[in-house]
Formats: sequence, C-alpha cells, structure tokens
Amino acid sequence: MSPTVCVRDLAKVFYDESRGEVRAVDGIDFACCPGEIFGLLGANGAGKTTTLRMLATILKPTSGTATLMGHDVAGDPEAVRRNLGFSSSTTALYPRLTARETIEFFARINGCPKELVRDRVEGLIARFGIGEYANARVDKLSQGMKQKVSIARTVVHDPPVLIFDEPTVGLDVLSAIEMQKVIAEFRAEGKTIIFSTHTMSEAEKLCDRIAIIHRGKIHACDTLANLRAATGQHYLEHIFVHYVERAGAPGGQEIRRDADPGVLGGPA
Amino acid sequence: MTGASSATGGGGRLDWRQVGILYRREIRAALREKTVVINSILMPIFLYPFIMWAALTGILFVQGQTEGFVSRVAVREWPKGHPILRRRLERDEQIQLVEWQRAGGDPERQIKDGKLDALVEFLPASGTNAVLAGNFQARITFNQSKERSASADKRLTSALQQYREDWLKREVRAYGIGPADWQVFSVTERNVASGKQMGTFLMGLLLPILFVVMVAMGCFYPAVDATAGERERNTWETLMSTAASRVSIVTAKYLYVASLGGLAGILNLAAMAATIEPIFAPLLAEAGGTLEFAMPLAALPLMALAALLLAGFVAAGMMIFASFARTFKEGQAMITPFYIVILLPVMFLQVPGLKFTLLLALLPIVNVTMMVRTAISGTFHWVPIIVTLTVSVALIAVCIRLAAFILQFEDVVLGSYSGSFNQFFQERVFGRTRPRKRVPHIIG
Repeated sequence: MSPTVCVRDLAKVFYDESRGEVRAVDGIDFACCPGEIFGLLGANGAGKTTTLRMLATILKPTSGTATLMGHDVAGDPEAVRRNLGFSSSTTALYPRLTARETIEFFARINGCPKELVRDRVEGLIARFGIGEYANARVDKLSQGMKQKVSIARTVVHDPPVLIFDEPTVGLDVLSAIEMQKVIAEFRAEGKTIIFSTHTMSEAEKLCDRIAIIHRGKIHACDTLANLRAATGQHYLEHIFVHYVERAGAPGGQEIRRDADPGVLGGPA
Repeated sequence: MTGASSATGGGGRLDWRQVGILYRREIRAALREKTVVINSILMPIFLYPFIMWAALTGILFVQGQTEGFVSRVAVREWPKGHPILRRRLERDEQIQLVEWQRAGGDPERQIKDGKLDALVEFLPASGTNAVLAGNFQARITFNQSKERSASADKRLTSALQQYREDWLKREVRAYGIGPADWQVFSVTERNVASGKQMGTFLMGLLLPILFVVMVAMGCFYPAVDATAGERERNTWETLMSTAASRVSIVTAKYLYVASLGGLAGILNLAAMAATIEPIFAPLLAEAGGTLEFAMPLAALPLMALAALLLAGFVAAGMMIFASFARTFKEGQAMITPFYIVILLPVMFLQVPGLKFTLLLALLPIVNVTMMVRTAISGTFHWVPIIVTLTVSVALIAVCIRLAAFILQFEDVVLGSYSGSFNQFFQERVFGRTRPRKRVPHIIG
C-alpha cells in the first residue's frame, strides 16, 4: 500500500528574541498509509504540534519536504488542505454559530459538493449524537459536546487524511474514551490518521505505529511490539524514557533512517 | 474547488465562492454579537438622533429655566428726575427690586454668594455728560460665573438701554428734533436665506461629522473581531487549515468589516435624514427658528457611495492595525489612535467658507465628507467628486494590499510576533533587521 503522507528531512526553525534560533523540528522522516493510525508521542515542546502544523500547511517548513496525497505542502497547499481534516489541540470553534451551522460551514468551505452537504451534516450529527444540541450555539456547549462538533467539522468533507493534535486534552475519561473509539472507527474506514499525544496509554491503545519525538527529532518509529523488542521494555512509558534518556546521553543520537527501516517504511 | 471568477494573489487563488461562504459566516456570527449589533446597527440608527434631540431639548429647558428666574436686584440711589425708570423696573415681572439697606450693606458679597443677582448704582454724570440736565451713569455689578446673575445683567442692560432710547426721544422732541434727525442712520437686518436653505446649511455642518464617526464606529468592533478576536478564540489555526486560500480569507474578512462600516454610515444618514425634521424643527420653532430640513433625492446615491468609500478605507486601515493584536483588548487599544486620527480631518469642515476644491478632493476623509456636505446642499462638483472617487479607490487598494501583506506572515497570523507596528515595517518592508529575526512567509 503506498503511503498517503510522506515526510522527508522536514525541519522548522523559529527565531526567538531571547532564545535565538530554535529548531522546533529538526529533520524528521516518516510515512503513513491508509487505514493506519500513526502516533507522534512526545513531551510538551517536543515538536509534535509544529510538525502537524507544517503538514496542515499552517506553517511553512524551513527545509525538507512533506507530501499529502501526492501534493507538496509548500508547493500546493490548497490541494493538501482539500485532502486533509485538521483538528487542533483546542476545539477552536466559532462560539456564535450553532453546532449544525459550524459543521455546515466547514463542509462548504472545504469544498464538499453542494448536493451532499445536507446529508453529510445530518449524517454526522446522527453519528456523533449531536442532534439534541445541533441548534444550540457552540458557546453554550460543554467541552465534550464541543469536541464532538469539532470532530464532525474535521471530517465533514470526507478527507482521506486526518490529523488530530492532542484530541483528548481537557476531556473527561468517558469523553476521551469515546474520542478514541471514533478515531479507531476512522481507521476502519481506511483513513490515514496522524495523531499526537503525550498520553502513553492512548498511544498504546490506538496507534499502529508510534514515533517518539524529542527536541524536534524522531528517536524511534515502529510498532509497539517492535519497540518493546528493541528496548526490552514492556510499557510504552518505559520505552519512551529509554529513548529520551538515550537521546540525552553523551553521544546519544536519534535513530537514523538508514539504521532503522521502520522510520521510513509503512506499517510493519 | 475554484470558482468561476478566480484570480491569482500572493496568498493563493482568490476564489469568490470561498469568499462568499466565509463572508456569510462572518456576518452571521457578527449579527449574533451584542457589541457589533449595538455599535454597527443600533447606535447609528438611534444614538445620534437621540443625542441631538436630548441636547437641543436640554438647551431649551435651560433657557426656559433661566427665563423663569426672577432677578433679585439691589438699587443704590435712584437718579433724580427719572421716576419712570423706577416704575418700569418695579413693574418688570422678571426683576425683583431689593432695597439697598435690605441687601445688608454688602451687596457684592451677596452677589458672590448667590443671594443677590445684581446691583445697580446710579451715579451722577461726570465730565461733558454732566452738561445735560438729569443725565446719570448706571453701573451694574454682577457675577458672570452664575447663570442667574448673568441673566440679571442682561435684563438690566436691556431695560436701561430701552429707557435711554425713550428718554432721548422725549428730550430731543422738546428741542423740536425728530428721531430721524438725531439717529442719522439706522441698521436693520434681513436674512435672505429661506428656512429650507438654513436647514440644509445646518445639515451640511452636522451630518458629515456624525457620518464619519458612525462609519468608524461601525468598522471598529468588526475589525477587532475579524483579526484579534479570531486569534483569541484560537480559530485562526482552524480557518487556515481549511481549503480556503489566504487571499480569500483576508478578502472575506475585509468585506465583512467594510460592509458593516458602510451599513453603519448609511443607517446613520438615513436615521438622521428621517428624524432631523420631526425632531429638530419643532424644537427650533420653540426657540424662535423656522427651519426646513429637506435632502435632495439626487444626493442619496452619492451619500451611499461615500459611505462605502469611507468604510472601505477605514476597514482596511483598522484591519492593518488590528492584525498585530493578540487579544480583543489589544485590538481595541491598537485601533483607537487610528480612530482618533481619522476624525481629526473632519474638524476642517468647520472652517468658514470652505469649498470643495481639487486640493481638498486629494485629502482622504476630508474629500468624502466634503462630498457628502456638498451633496446635502444639492450642489454637485463633478470634477472634485471624480478625484475623490479615484483617490479613495486607490487608497483602499493600497490599504488592502498592505493588510494582505501583513497577514502573509505566519508569526503575525498566529500571534507570536512580538514587535511593534513600526518594527514590523522596519524589518519586513525595509529589511532593516538582523537576519535571525526574519520569519518566513506562511504558505499561501
């Protein structure tokens, strides 16, 4: 199966008055295929969000390339965005629109054919159980309700690639479980899902492959089983610490793509 | 997913279909926002007609109150040979005479304290004036800082002047001289302006100022909402990850701000035009004026155009400043100086005899307000009007281009740019910066 998302040597450098040059993302490589959940696991500030923002064409890469459904993020950003559903770490919805209006707006702006908009919107309202509050303004909704609306608006134009940036942040346990279930359903529908988190259990439960990202570099990228085998650790938490400590140790380096085929390859 | 009428731009393709979708979303959300509805719709309709009505009613009320006061006047030494003067002042219902002795001996103190309104002292005439028998001097002491005392001064002065006129007439008649001989020349006033012309003149002074204020007010909150508000809600990122191009997003936002500003201007003009006659004419009639307020129909399209031009410029200007704001409060603080600056040129309108010349047609804001002013009076200077249109459209184009340029920078859009407006131009426009501070453009 050919990858839908290919990232090669992608880097993003920011310039900060106080810190000078900050390499938020430092030459990362990975690829994802349809029907796969690819997890970016890292601590806060590791470079997860910057990576996802570059894939969503919100930020321009400083160097390297990334393609989504064959479209280059720098060369053809609008085509990339047409094939993408991006859910940021905040629900970030328009408070003065109703849930239904919100979903409908994102369907239209993302180019969903006019004749399909109504069916798509109503279908998602039914699927996510939004019906009871579909006509309520977003600012009146609870965080869990907002998150459902946010997911509905992310997928309403039926994009082949979905990016979720820490989707369960701020959710209660039940809402978080429901969110994980929904993401798994999207995988079953054959969508490519890139998912960032710093919650180990979530990554363990959902991800087909996990990339451990630390200080802008990917230090490991493989299935959970292979990561366990490579490190001799069972829990992902310990696996994560293993790689982070190795990266911080003298002479410690990220896993090179020539040293680990899993970094660039599709699902193992 | 491109519309039929697409054009290329720095931030991707301008897609009018996307612009339409984004614009409708902005307007729909704005019309549910109390602040926007109040400032862009309700205030233009109700505020200024109400304020003007309240102000005029207030003035008339104060005038009425002042006229209702009885002036307490102490008199010192009535002049000999002028009993008629005393009788006149005693009969005057607006003047209450207080005996000098009853004034407590220190009337000046009492005037300062507001217990007495004025003191009249009749003194013997001095110098050449003393030649005429029965002549005298009158000295009025009053307190200008007290309305009631100032009013007493006016009443006394008027009464004494009237008495002097009558006395002179009587005296010269005794010498066989008629009023026409001793008055030599007389002055009479005649205002050739009709009530309608006076009404138009007053509207021309008043309406353009309120018009600029209202257009700016109408743009203010939408401009902040469309930029800093979007950032504060974290919806910029969501919006930028949609299939809409950057240029479509900026265009829709600009049209949203400009249309609400234009709407505010048009609503204000319509409200003022509709209420000025029924509100002001009866009030002015009470005050003794006879004014007619009528706006020529031919002026209406030109005024609507003026509202759109002004809104187009103000919207772009405000968006430029609000682009740097990270929060709604910051946006308000950044736009306020621009708001004040655009109101300053309107002061020009108060210069007497100001004509809509080509030079004025080159000055932003002033040109549009002069266009409105002359249109209200029913005169259309077509050459300055065409220059005004050209200058306004050019200015709007420059401002939109500048706003689009600013919003191409990812750090500005995402609210991480920490420099000032001036620094931004130094760095990004003139390139006066250290290389490490440069931040690349976002992807279009």
